[in-house]
Amino acid sequence: MPANRPASEEPRLAVTRPPRVRPRRRVLALALPVPIVGLILLMATGNLLLPLRQVVTIEAKMASKRDFFQDPEVERLLMKHGFRVHITSMGSREIANQDFEGYDVVFPSGQPAADLISRERAESNRPVLLYRPFVSPIVLATYRSYAEALVDADVAEAQPNPGGRPMYYTLEMTPFVKLTEEGRRWSDIDIRGHGVENSNKILAQTSDICESNSAGTYLGLVAFVDNDNDAPDDEKEAARVAQEIKPLLVEQGLPSSERAETYLSPDGQSIAPISVIYEHQFLAHQIRHRAEKGAPDDERVLLYPSTRFVTEPQLVALTGDGARLGELVSEDPELQHRAMELGFRARNGNSGGTTGDELAEFLTRRHIPVPTTSSNDTRAVLPPLPLLEQMIKTVGDCPDRKGDVR
Amino acid sequence: MRRGAVPLMPCLALCLTLMAAVLTACSGDDGDDPVRLRVLASPDLAVLAPLLGELKAETGVDLRLDPRPDAETTAPDRDRYDLAWLSSDRYLRLTARSAVQGLQRTATMTSPVVVGLQPDVARELRAKTPGGRLTWADIADAAATGTVRFGMADPRRSASGLAALVGVATAAAGTGGALRPGDVSCDRLRGFRSGQTLTADTSPALIDTYVDHQDEANALITYESDLLALNASGRLDDRLEVVRPEDGMVLADFPLLLLDAAQRAAYAKVTEWLQRDSVQQEIMRRTLRRPVSATVTRDPQLREPVGNALYFPDQPAVIDTLLADYGDPGRRTASQVVFLLDFSGSMRGARMAALREAFADLSGADATASGKFARFYRGERLTVVRFGGRVLEERTVTVAGPKDLRALADTVARGGYGDSTAVWSALDHGYRTAARELADDPDRAVSLVLMTDGENNAGIAYAEFVRRHKALPAPVRTGVHTYPVHFGDADAAELRRVAARTGGRMVDAADSSPSGPSGPSSLSEAFKEIRGCH
Repeated sequence: MPANRPASEEPRLAVTRPPRVRPRRRVLALALPVPIVGLILLMATGNLLLPLRQVVTIEAKMASKRDFFQDPEVERLLMKHGFRVHITSMGSREIANQDFEGYDVVFPSGQPAADLISRERAESNRPVLLYRPFVSPIVLATYRSYAEALVDADVAEAQPNPGGRPMYYTLEMTPFVKLTEEGRRWSDIDIRGHGVENSNKILAQTSDICESNSAGTYLGLVAFVDNDNDAPDDEKEAARVAQEIKPLLVEQGLPSSERAETYLSPDGQSIAPISVIYEHQFLAHQIRHRAEKGAPDDERVLLYPSTRFVTEPQLVALTGDGARLGELVSEDPELQHRAMELGFRARNGNSGGTTGDELAEFLTRRHIPVPTTSSNDTRAVLPPLPLLEQMIKTVGDCPDRKGDVR
Repeated sequence: MRRGAVPLMPCLALCLTLMAAVLTACSGDDGDDPVRLRVLASPDLAVLAPLLGELKAETGVDLRLDPRPDAETTAPDRDRYDLAWLSSDRYLRLTARSAVQGLQRTATMTSPVVVGLQPDVARELRAKTPGGRLTWADIADAAATGTVRFGMADPRRSASGLAALVGVATAAAGTGGALRPGDVSCDRLRGFRSGQTLTADTSPALIDTYVDHQDEANALITYESDLLALNASGRLDDRLEVVRPEDGMVLADFPLLLLDAAQRAAYAKVTEWLQRDSVQQEIMRRTLRRPVSATVTRDPQLREPVGNALYFPDQPAVIDTLLADYGDPGRRTASQVVFLLDFSGSMRGARMAALREAFADLSGADATASGKFARFYRGERLTVVRFGGRVLEERTVTVAGPKDLRALADTVARGGYGDSTAVWSALDHGYRTAARELADDPDRAVSLVLMTDGENNAGIAYAEFVRRHKALPAPVRTGVHTYPVHFGDADAAELRRVAARTGGRMVDAADSSPSGPSGPSSLSEAFKEIRGCH
């Protein structure tokens, strides 16, 4: 088997035509002097899709969106199109922090890290192509007892579920953040009345704010709430808000990684009652649970922050093969359908307000409650990238990024 | 990017008949290339060495474990190792952040740090606790009285020791949050620590030490997995009952870290293999650690709720202080408190009742969690000096049992009030006592508590006290701090001034009435607040 053939001996296929370039779902990172040259270079390294004859191994760096690429069905579909994806896993901001030499794509879970990358590459005249195959809101995942305690404390409200106990709750962010601010503990809001003993402080745990998109996004959310539902828009304001919210966000102490894995683990409730994760991670669990056990997981429930934010993971193509992969996952109907089955929302026809119709239909078919959004909910806005970066560094005491001039 | 071209016909033939795994290999994976990786390992991981042959056979990756006692506390040498496999990387994340920041990290199994108690001790402790649900405070209380004598790994060297120390210190602070520097400014763990009779540099060494010295300890603080495995080993006279303290635990997740980014393909294979249910099952069988996989059926012993995880401090200064205060578990130094108590006439009645109550609380009557941590403990040296216009009586005990605490209570209970208040003469006397004790035992930590309810109206003046204080030998002058307790009509400004001069801190107990029918008085709270300050 010619498995270890050195690269130089690989038969090269002639490029007969460049990958189709359509403007939809694709953003050319910057309108700069040389993007055309870069684009041509990207195209020149592209190859034809030749299933079975030619399997391209894509080297990829990603964070939570590896859930998609590691799904066996997605792996099968990609293989059908001649792709295999090798994943290096790390936090989104950390992806932007490290070198991407030797990688075809990087796939941070949100826009800020992707912006950092495309800005940097553009500055070095190596522009990238960006693809946004799907979106997913940031949510606070918790357990029944904790959600009900928050309801009793008038901080959360259950979304009615005709078929049984509620699976979704709306969490009023202002009073919730205030609980943390006042140092209130779970025992103070009678968690014992819900059958659980816990005298830890009430807060939502995030992964490392210096490394992860979900944690940085949650910071943006708390900042928005703290700043009277407005994103800080100058350095002075950002500095003030960062100082104000820092005590709330560092109260959890040393952060642990892999929030979703911890949340879904059997000991999850003991380890962290509330975890900041993405909606797709929760829905994927419920879809799987329903398929395997015949009913959704009744103990794990979701808190939708009243101030909502929908994250847009961006696949950053660094090579021609990367661009072909980005194109494929954004356009291929089978892969798009599978993304929905994994709990992602389609990007088009859904700018963050309501569940995509397709996802809603799918959940209904599987007898899984469909989350609803209230028209009262506020849509949060993240501060501009440099300010968000500044706030992340202040709150997380993060080490300087590579290439930082200051 | 790598491309593997595959001859069409043989591959098609193969693919039609073989399974998906073969398809993967056949379509260009370079997985057959044997890779040898050097792994810096905690000694806790050595138990998994027998599994690694299977890993090599199934993935082609040969892990060479190098178990090192200092793996968890020393920044890994990236020239020597490709991976690090630790019981916990928290110590490194706090003390060597740049060395571990941004590394690929995969949790491989979990185990909480809990307490194993010999059955008779467990029974005794549970009988005293409502609902029989034990806390770290109960363990500290029992350690202070000598009921619990425990073994624990050295927190300066081992992750399990550090996790235990952080767990018990977080419980002692009682804030429900991660420890902040202010929470550890006074050492609240002296009582707890007085119960430690065994130690070791690593968790596996601790287990061996305990097995060899079962008569010297009746409790063991370490990973749940180690306790369960020890119980199953047949090496014990008495099996240990696993107690998961109600006030929380610290969880180890045995992360595998990728040190050399060039080995990421092999790393991916290893982590994928380790997370397979069959492998997780085998790890659980061998180690009794909890699987990270949600789909593995757990050993019945591992179905108990793990207990609430405590927030782990993120400030290196907190860890530094905790470790410095905890000191060398193998070499304990005694500490001594000299209480200088105002017995002038104005203390008669309610104030004296409050003082006696405060001493009773510190002798074990205070059933709150903070009271259990703050209480007097075995081996502690306590001096009570009663003063009025002059020193009326001085009594010193080294606590060995209840009778010593009774002797102390008797001294405080005696009347014999003075007519005036010689605050500075009394403090000067306290420093001379401290100097004498330090001359006997230079390692001893001595502090002074000065409780007064009035202004100085007899004996030497403040200026004279300062002059004498300046003339003290350096270790006494700088090492012995005064913690004034402001009570009644005492002059707060003066007390604050003397605290600042000697390196101590004043606490206020100005309200002399008890705070409630059952709650400790403000004087009792004030004494508690400065316990362990040094």
